Amino acid sequence: MAILEIKHVSKFFGGLAANSDVSFEMGEGMIMGLIGPNGAGKTTLFNCITGYYPPSRGEILFKGERMNGLQPDRVCKLGMARTWQKVRPLAKMTVLDNVMVGALCRTNSLKVAREMAMEQIRVVRLDLRINFPAGGLPIGERKKLEVARVLATQPQLLLLDEVMGGLNPAESEEIIRLILDIKRRGITQMVIEHDMKAIMRISDRIVVLNSGEKLAEGTPEEIVNNRDVVTAYLGEYHA
Amino acid sequence: MRTFRTPCANNNGFSTVAAVTALLILVALFLFPRFVESPYTLHIMILFFLSTIMGGSWNILGGYTGQYSVGHAAYFGAGAYTTMILMQYKQVPPWYGIWGGIAIVVVVALFIGSICFRLRGPYFVLASIAVAEIMRLTAMNLKDLTNGAEGILATEIPPFTMGGTVITDFLTKVPFYYIGLVLAILTIIVTWLVQNSKLGYCFQAIREDQDAAHSLGINLTIYKNIALIISAVFTSLAGSFYAVYIGFIDPPTVLALDISVQIVLICIIGGIGTIYGPVVGSLVLVPLSEALRSNLIAQAIFKTGMVSEESGIGVFLKDHLAHAHALIYGILVVIVILFMPDGVLGFIKKLTAKKAVTGDRLTVTE
Repeated sequence: MAILEIKHVSKFFGGLAANSDVSFEMGEGMIMGLIGPNGAGKTTLFNCITGYYPPSRGEILFKGERMNGLQPDRVCKLGMARTWQKVRPLAKMTVLDNVMVGALCRTNSLKVAREMAMEQIRVVRLDLRINFPAGGLPIGERKKLEVARVLATQPQLLLLDEVMGGLNPAESEEIIRLILDIKRRGITQMVIEHDMKAIMRISDRIVVLNSGEKLAEGTPEEIVNNRDVVTAYLGEYHA
Repeated sequence: MRTFRTPCANNNGFSTVAAVTALLILVALFLFPRFVESPYTLHIMILFFLSTIMGGSWNILGGYTGQYSVGHAAYFGAGAYTTMILMQYKQVPPWYGIWGGIAIVVVVALFIGSICFRLRGPYFVLASIAVAEIMRLTAMNLKDLTNGAEGILATEIPPFTMGGTVITDFLTKVPFYYIGLVLAILTIIVTWLVQNSKLGYCFQAIREDQDAAHSLGINLTIYKNIALIISAVFTSLAGSFYAVYIGFIDPPTVLALDISVQIVLICIIGGIGTIYGPVVGSLVLVPLSEALRSNLIAQAIFKTGMVSEESGIGVFLKDHLAHAHALIYGILVVIVILFMPDGVLGFIKKLTAKKAVTGDRLTVTE
């Protein structure tokens, strides 16, 4: 059974269609890449799925349940968590406290939350930084903190919004390994990314958005050879 | 496992010293009225406790949850008025009246929360001011209930009895001293409990980034309202305590904007979002405003002999410095905010942290 079904989802801001009639399904345990030029509506789709905007039309089903109109905190409790394109560390709190906030979604005990948080901090290798204020971290570590924090909410579906944006190649490589590691733990992931090499390497399937519409869907090989996709990215001449 | 330690995280040795010091201060505070009989000194101490309670309760909502309410006079006044009306017109003793005050304040807080929490940042601040002003104008005009601008004067406080024996008759300031002390300690304990529980983590997450907190499974409406209710209940207690202690209330003294601003200042000066911030803030502000009001500064200048009391400048200072107390107070507050953005407590912490860092470097170079 598909863990996430997007059925004819549209989102309008006034007259502007940020998403129009987008449909696709995600199987359990897979990595779905979501790509498209700037302004294609990738982040808007994330916001619709995670409850920040109600979709104007269409339906979002998570584990067969309708998600439309649920608040973000309910969505998180049901097992779907997201990161932010522009990282949002809880700046004055320490790294450990940041991740504990995520873990407290599943427990009321600080002790249990601390253990759960430490486990995820070790996964992203931030253990040397636990008492460091999150606001003082460099960008690469902030991105890792973001991932550790959502992992601590024990999600079944993880939505990663450009976790490699602004990172150097070595840091990107580390994140790629992290994403594949998360996949091995059985967590389904949807990944927005601009780094084509990376997305081709990690994705099982890819959905391409262009001006709010779904342009193509398929395996990485199919997408690379898709004429429409190349046109959308590079223009007629190269296609 | 190796852990990275920030300079201030190493606090094992420090915490025992702190605990002993806290205990000694506590014992001293409880014995204080046995040795000091001056009603004026006791009055200053009571004002200090009152200020700690007010600052501490605002700190839960403003300091930990980041909802900068500048309308806390609404809860202060609601508590004060309920207790006074019950005592003066219904002959309900204040130790029952305060519960009435708390009940009403919870209802008022939930109502205000349902309006104001839809807004964020500066809009929330403005809405909180507006709601408190509505409360003040209501109290001004509901003459049948609140006696309007004339206010309510407490003619007598019924003695506090338990099982027939009189515990206190409220004739001196000592019973008020102890009530204030206990309430202030209670406020600090509640703050400590909040900080060391799930509540504290959720509150601070909301303060740091609402949207991120929301995406991590924190129900914003529920947690903001919990913070508001804790905060409002303690502010109401402070209001009731103030009303019974002073014995007179009217809208300008318990519901005005300056009360709201004062409450915020206690925390800003002391250190927002810290357990002892309100204590430090009160420790600075209460003596300061008292010294300015009773013209202690002019007297101190005369004592140093720089200016003689009879000279032209001396006469001017004597006549006018006390009148300028609000101005001087304001200037000092601006200076503190400019040079100590994290409050006095944050400033001290920064100084000690710097020392610890240089200390570490020394050991490294050896």
